[in-house]
Amino acid sequence: MRAEVLKGHLDGLLLATLASGPRHGYAIKEALRAGSGGQFDLPTGTVYPALHRLERAGLIRGSWSTVNGRRRRSYALTPAGRRTLSEERSSWREFSAAVTALLGDSPWPAAT
Amino acid sequence: MAGRNVSDFTSRDPVADYLAAVTAKLAVPVAARVAITDELRDGLLEALESHQGRGCSHAEATAAAIAEFGDPATVAAAFGPELGAVQARRVALGLLVTGPLVGLAWIVAVAVNALPPWRHQLIGPWLALPLVGVALAVAGPALGLTVATTGRLSRRLGPVVHLATLPLTAAAVAALAAVVADLTLLGIISGHALTSPGSPVWALIVLAASASLTRVTVAGRAACRCLATRAALT
Repeated sequence: MRAEVLKGHLDGLLLATLASGPRHGYAIKEALRAGSGGQFDLPTGTVYPALHRLERAGLIRGSWSTVNGRRRRSYALTPAGRRTLSEERSSWREFSAAVTALLGDSPWPAAT
Repeated sequence: MAGRNVSDFTSRDPVADYLAAVTAKLAVPVAARVAITDELRDGLLEALESHQGRGCSHAEATAAAIAEFGDPATVAAAFGPELGAVQARRVALGLLVTGPLVGLAWIVAVAVNALPPWRHQLIGPWLALPLVGVALAVAGPALGLTVATTGRLSRRLGPVVHLATLPLTAAAVAALAAVVADLTLLGIISGHALTSPGSPVWALIVLAASASLTRVTVAGRAACRCLATRAALT
């Protein structure tokens, strides 16, 4: 699936991958791919700028560690990030329910 | 990877070549370049190990990892708006910190020497002083806009923050306004020195003028860099 399709949802999806705990950039990208059944397979390199943007907005916090002799940056949700994720989830539930109601197979109400 | 594969990278370390190809396109300070390189390298090696774990040879795993990361130009372009925002924010914060210091230096110089503005007089070269006020009136909102669109407030501003060039434009405007203010003050004090008799405390005037001269240089360069980055994004 092309990255453009995710526009507007990428921030929420990235935050969701961190809901269960900190991850590094590649693990976040893999969580997106695996969690979507392979639908959201973004070029890995483009995930990092999005993470930096979320960090600048105060929604995630990055920290360096050393793993296997190389520097690794891992990200965790901040309290503001948790609140935003919760809002994104509520908003998505309302939006998807409305779209499902309109695009589903059930007949539309008769026009008056 | 669009238009490029592992064989296009000529050294014995395709990962290093790939990282060099990405970061060569990023106009960032050395520390930021090192941080980005380290982070991408870790991700690439994770991807490489993941492919090796699925039975690929080292060469196959390297090629697959690089392909997975995306074309260097695409990755560098994805960093563009983010790095532009960081650059604009750095310029704005620099101006916010130095502005009061430069202003204070001038106020002290004017007050101690009882220069015309201190006596509520705008005469001779001091007639140009309102131009400083106009410049500050432009710089203030531009700085506010830059800081708001590049920090935590940006989440609440909605679609406006998706204009990647906005913070760079605002930061460049603020920096240019600071240059105008400083050049005006330098022109005024030069005119005053040439036309007014008396023995002012030159040390304070030289201090204020040096502060302005430094800021003209730094803010001028910062404005040019912001505009160059902005042009690269459009």
